[in-house]
Amino acid sequence: MNDQIIFEDVSKFYGEVLGVNRVSLSIPPGITTLVGPNGSGKTTLMNLMTGLVQPSSGTISVMGLSPSNSPELFRILGYCTQFDFFPRGLTGWQFIFDSLMLHGMSDADAFQLTVEAIERVQLGDAAGRKIAGYSKGMRQKVRLAQAIAHHPRVLVLDEPLNGLDPMARAESIALFQELGRQGMHLLISSHILDEVDRISDRVVLITGGYLIAEGSIQQVRQEVREKPMQVLIRCDQPAVLASKMFAINHCVEARLHADGRGVFLRTADIDQFYSMLNGIAAEGLVKIEAVAPADDDASAIYQYLIGSDGSAL
Amino acid sequence: MSVYKHNYRAYSGKITPAWTRVLVLAKYGFAEAWSSKITVGLFTLCLLPPIVFLFGIYLANNPLARALIGARGSQGQMIDAKYFLVILQIQSWLALAVASWIAPRLITFDLADNALPILLSHPISRFSYVFGKFIALFASLSAVTWVPCLLLFTYQSYSSPVPWAAANGQIAGGLLAGALIWIALLSILGLALSSWVKWRVVATGAIFGAVLVPASVGAIVTGVLRTKWGFLLNIPFMMSLLWQRLLGAPERGMERFSLPTGAIAAMLALACIICVAMLTAHIRAREVVHG
Repeated sequence: MNDQIIFEDVSKFYGEVLGVNRVSLSIPPGITTLVGPNGSGKTTLMNLMTGLVQPSSGTISVMGLSPSNSPELFRILGYCTQFDFFPRGLTGWQFIFDSLMLHGMSDADAFQLTVEAIERVQLGDAAGRKIAGYSKGMRQKVRLAQAIAHHPRVLVLDEPLNGLDPMARAESIALFQELGRQGMHLLISSHILDEVDRISDRVVLITGGYLIAEGSIQQVRQEVREKPMQVLIRCDQPAVLASKMFAINHCVEARLHADGRGVFLRTADIDQFYSMLNGIAAEGLVKIEAVAPADDDASAIYQYLIGSDGSAL
Repeated sequence: MSVYKHNYRAYSGKITPAWTRVLVLAKYGFAEAWSSKITVGLFTLCLLPPIVFLFGIYLANNPLARALIGARGSQGQMIDAKYFLVILQIQSWLALAVASWIAPRLITFDLADNALPILLSHPISRFSYVFGKFIALFASLSAVTWVPCLLLFTYQSYSSPVPWAAANGQIAGGLLAGALIWIALLSILGLALSSWVKWRVVATGAIFGAVLVPASVGAIVTGVLRTKWGFLLNIPFMMSLLWQRLLGAPERGMERFSLPTGAIAAMLALACIICVAMLTAHIRAREVVHG
């Protein structure tokens, strides 16, 4: 079976409103995060992938299956939507159990898988209470539990960290990382860029229905050539190091760290930059303690490529 | 790129047949329909006429009881097709009230809560979703239509001093067929109209309106054009004709406006097709995009 999720030239229009336009993507196993402002097309992309909406043009394949083949697709796929819906009057346990029955499990299997899912999301005794009395975080947990309960190979999570307190957020991220490490596909949309850095193997940036960039965060950052990369160098003589580095013409900005024991340098050619830095370190004039990229995170990429107003730059 | 252990195992157990999953949705529907005290109240109200008619059958078959309550004449009420037609008509119109209350509860809450994406993110189709709701509504309406009607028929068969059931088999068949046609139409009409409005009260009004407003238009057409074909818009009239024919009751006073059974069947089928088109257009798992 093909282990990729593939979008080929996919467009979706809701009447005259653009959902996504000419998206081509190939997503391997691991954690992929969809990043973009509100209305950028993240949910449309997820709905297309899960067959809940049909593309206006193009083709989609989820591990070799067409999303229009929903009975087969939803055996291998779990979807946690952003909508806060639960059938009225049910407990968390009943909701997950009934969801498994809808997946076609027998009573015995559904019982066992419900226990397992509740343990995984650490819902605990609250599973026996009515969902109507749950906090927002617990409602997120029970939605997540129903999405993973049937052991899908692909998990699609629309804003799964919304409404979670820091502890629950950390637990969810740990669960995502564990599932990703085990070889599951996780496609997550999120606005919380700090957490995108922590959990993602890859990011997909989208705005206004157009794909802006995709790949690992470091790869994407290196491709943004018009924005010189910023590197933080911890050393004993930051001023000397800055003057040395300015001798090369691709170093465009230097800023001392607030504690005086480091310098932020911007460079248009990162390979040349590291080569020069090795030379300076070998000379022994400056004792270099640490070197780290300062703007190859999701937040910086988002700012460079999409901008704070949500329009692509 | 991480190094994956690839030790994740997808579920590989047995899968139940697709029809059993529809029953899960029907169960949701039942729970939603019967969670309201008004539903219970309506259902109780619907049981009152059968109790009255049950008493009528008892009196008709029991001269001593008639004498005790002072009923005159040696003959009691005639229990025939006409008697059961009245029962069927009363129960059928009560079923309209029940349908207009329950159907919006089955659909409008899901639409208002944006529930369709999460429900349809399972190995079930839109058809299965609608069919599950249909089963819940159809079964609820059965409890107030053909079930009490056939129970009364059975009681009459048991109580009658002469062999009665064999000679009146058409009545039982007519009760069953007439009620099934009516509640199937009500169920699909109720679900279709509920899928168009998110506000439950409006949906309830729309269901009544869909039955009664075309009847008024049909009456105007009939009056102005002096043609009986305007009654093809009159669902209550068409159903009355159909029930009379199915039960074998006489069509007294309606001969002038009598419509062919084929035309009635065609109009009911057309109404169902329109309802299916409405459901197809509105039962979709996507968020509404404004703008």
